[in-house]
Amino acid sequence: MSSKRTAAFPAEDATVSEGVIVPETAGRHRPATAASPGEPLLVVEDLRVQFTRGGRKINAVNGLSYELAPGSMLAIIGESGSGKSVSSRALMGLLPPTAKISGSVRFDGRDLLGLSEREMQSLRGGDIAMVFQDPARSLNPTMKIGAQITEAVRLHSDLDKKGAQARAVELLKLVRLPAAERRFHEYPHQLSGGMRQRVMIAIALAGEPRLLIADEATTALDVTTQAQIMELLVELQQRLGMAVIMISHDLGLAASYAQDVVVMYAGRAVEYAPTKVLFANVRMPYTHALLGAIPALDREPHSLFEVTPGQPPDLSALPKGCPFRPRCSNATDQCLEMPPFTEHDPEHWFACWHPVGSGTGKHTANGEQR
Amino acid sequence: MTATATPRVPVSRDPRVSPLSRLTASPVLRLVVKRLLMAIPIMLGVTVLTFWVLSLIPGNAAQQLLGPEATPEDIALLEQQLGLDKPGVVRYFDWLQGAVTGDLGNSLVSRQPVSEILSARLPVTAELVFLAFVVSLVLAVPVALLAAHKPGGVMDRISMMISTLGLSVANYVLALLLVLVFAVSLGWLPAIGYTPLEDGLWANLRGMILPSAAIGFPLFCYYTRFLRGDLVDQMQQEEYVTTARAKGVGSWAVLIKHAFRNSSFGLITIVGLNLGALIGGTVIIEQIFALPGIGQMLLQAINTRDFVVVQAAVVIFALVAVVANLVVDLLYAVLDPRIRYGSR
Repeated sequence: MSSKRTAAFPAEDATVSEGVIVPETAGRHRPATAASPGEPLLVVEDLRVQFTRGGRKINAVNGLSYELAPGSMLAIIGESGSGKSVSSRALMGLLPPTAKISGSVRFDGRDLLGLSEREMQSLRGGDIAMVFQDPARSLNPTMKIGAQITEAVRLHSDLDKKGAQARAVELLKLVRLPAAERRFHEYPHQLSGGMRQRVMIAIALAGEPRLLIADEATTALDVTTQAQIMELLVELQQRLGMAVIMISHDLGLAASYAQDVVVMYAGRAVEYAPTKVLFANVRMPYTHALLGAIPALDREPHSLFEVTPGQPPDLSALPKGCPFRPRCSNATDQCLEMPPFTEHDPEHWFACWHPVGSGTGKHTANGEQR
Repeated sequence: MTATATPRVPVSRDPRVSPLSRLTASPVLRLVVKRLLMAIPIMLGVTVLTFWVLSLIPGNAAQQLLGPEATPEDIALLEQQLGLDKPGVVRYFDWLQGAVTGDLGNSLVSRQPVSEILSARLPVTAELVFLAFVVSLVLAVPVALLAAHKPGGVMDRISMMISTLGLSVANYVLALLLVLVFAVSLGWLPAIGYTPLEDGLWANLRGMILPSAAIGFPLFCYYTRFLRGDLVDQMQQEEYVTTARAKGVGSWAVLIKHAFRNSSFGLITIVGLNLGALIGGTVIIEQIFALPGIGQMLLQAINTRDFVVVQAAVVIFALVAVVANLVVDLLYAVLDPRIRYGSR
């Protein structure tokens, strides 16, 4: 790969100045952070997604709001069915046409929900890219990986076939795929899970996105590979100045990498704060319960995990008031009324009448049961 | 392996490769040889079965030739001449002995060598099958793509209606309807008969349009429905489709470039499995349109108890089925990079 063309992305050994490298080719010349300082790149307000299945209405997302600053990393945490994946697919316009979406999603000042399919198409893989959970199923099994990356490059640049292929190899090097030139001509089944996820990231980077959504991108990988992929994502985020939304069920992973955390339950945001603020003072009993379920080395051997009784609610028949009420040990009759999602402490949003540490419930700040 | 003085270096040999594959270098060749060897017991089984079933039908070629008025003496004499007086097992092995040496024998009825009959009739059936096959497949792919692009849309509903209709009408009923409309009412095409290719391409094709449509239309409906269903499944359930869409690939390109390629494996399987039905369909259709093909020959031979000719037809049909399945398996390997024969 000694093309005379300037590399769109620096090869592995390129020096990284100020942590940000500005892409120089591919027709788009723009600073890594396009929005003016202080202005969020993405503002999601009261996002709602409803599916109708067999006559039943399923409320997958019920009023989700958050903001994302350019170049920062936000983690959306929640268990299966909490609406974390659905909400991010709604941003990308990837939900089936039967999904009813309302609320507002402003990306760089544009309302994404009002865009036509054609406008959305040029945005997808361009300014907003996505990496999915299962790299074994997310790549087309019948196409060489090189062709799959080249396709993405050509969709979002004016490069000819040769140039796009050269760029694809550069992208493979950028995501540190060993023997990139050889792998270029291989099929997904010839790669390991970690390598496939690197290819997925290379595809996502093809359009030089300003926002990368990683939907459980490390869940299907073993722990070592998981750490490598996360390190790669963080490094690329800093080098390329992308904002990243990391969707995960792993609170620990979020704590290690993200600047902000949104905790979702039953399609709602229940707690939202900068990571440091959140972990210093968890307020929402659900988040508290999640933390209690994480194994830790300093835990007493053979001690029982704190288990949250019950199951997440049926999204087609949500309980009255706070959706966590039936499982919450702090719940009172007041919880039959939906608690507002407000900024109780500076930068710390949550929706709860009886937060942890307020002294009104059984959960206290240090996790003891009274 | 000869002993050498050099230090023992482990022979780099893939332990998964069996000795047989070292003999035949190409794994594809190995597959072909294996399948053709497997065809031998299939052929034996099919011919034995046919022979046995034919022997269960009352009457034999001698009786059929001489007609109901013949005296038992005449019949006995002809049976002796034709070799029909010998026990069935002996007759079968006589036939088999000739067949393996390439001599398919002579027709009991016309005394013509079977190989001559076949060379005259095979092209007719081959043309019929080929036209029905190509037309049904070539039409099914774009119609299925149009239908799958918008499930529940206008194109989808229309194609669903047509294909349900096509699947619920038997091909001989369809044949008669086609004759009624295009030959009798409109007079555009001949109702029956076959014109050899030597008499002009158009004259030949004119006679072939209705019979191949009668066989091909139900197949077209079947392929369309299958492919449409598989494409919709791919589009709605497969993550690689979501990846393609997330890349910014347009909906048509996702369908054609990504989903269709993956749906084609299923289609090939269906097409391969249906080739038997396709050839079976020629028997009735050749009868209706008076086409001098293998199917018509088979029917006549069964009526006259001409077991030599029946056997030849059955062997041909079975051989086509074996080869079709082999071609399907080879196509998998060409289309699906995950399949590489010989590595197991």
